[in-house]
Amino acid sequence: MQEIEFNEDEVLTLASQGDRDAFGLLYERYVDRIFNYVYYRTGNLHDAEDLTARVFQRAMNHIKTYTDRGVPFSAWLYRIAHNLVANWHRDRSRRQEIPLDDLPVLQSKGDHPERNLVHSQEQDALLKLIRRLPGERQNLLILKFVEDMSNAEIGLIMGRSEGAVKSLYHRTLLALRDQLGDQNINLEGE
Amino acid sequence: MARQTSTSTSDEILSKLENRLAGVLKPIRPSKDIVQRLRERIHFPAREDFTVRLRDWRQVFLVFGGVMSGMLVVITIARAFFHLVGRRHM
Repeated sequence: MQEIEFNEDEVLTLASQGDRDAFGLLYERYVDRIFNYVYYRTGNLHDAEDLTARVFQRAMNHIKTYTDRGVPFSAWLYRIAHNLVANWHRDRSRRQEIPLDDLPVLQSKGDHPERNLVHSQEQDALLKLIRRLPGERQNLLILKFVEDMSNAEIGLIMGRSEGAVKSLYHRTLLALRDQLGDQNINLEGE
Repeated sequence: MARQTSTSTSDEILSKLENRLAGVLKPIRPSKDIVQRLRERIHFPAREDFTVRLRDWRQVFLVFGGVMSGMLVVITIARAFFHLVGRRHM
């Protein structure tokens, strides 16, 4: 989908005055990112779709109260998504694992099928480990790798300083490394 | 020296882990169907319609309450006026 160029501040002003077309532009710009975030946090397409819809509905209903105090609109949206996902996890008695059918297909065409299979199993194992991390650490990894955000941008969303994000990231990597070691998962397989 | 080697090994492992994470956590694109369904849900949400209707009902009650209060004030003034005028004529 080609991103439409527009002045976000102007569109935000219009959207906050109840202009649905303006909100539609914001939706087009951010729907992929919010869907990605929610998908990786929930692990299935159905809930990702439902929660993404709720994120934008809530944003649309509360956009009049959104005031730009140095927090970008995207950070505001991610916070809404974060809260809804947290509620979703709370409502569930146990966390879901990512169904295999829903996992994104990441195989490259030239790879050998057997190698792909081993690689895919290792990816599954790594994804499962990620999903066992505390929510805050999952957020951090998703924002960093899926959304390709800097520590400063992540800090804005998570309400932490850049240094705190950096430190949390390092601790998360160490924790993952230890868990991978416990499960004898090899990191050399690239 | 041994500590330096251990640190560089640890850094290498973390770097490999980062590469792995980059391979696993890749952006996915929701299908056009999903985006369209979401758009429809957001543009025509049932709850939103309900809220608008509720807002209309609130307005109706406010107007009705305002008219009733106004009428009560007018009736009270009229009664007081007729009471005073009636006394003078007696």
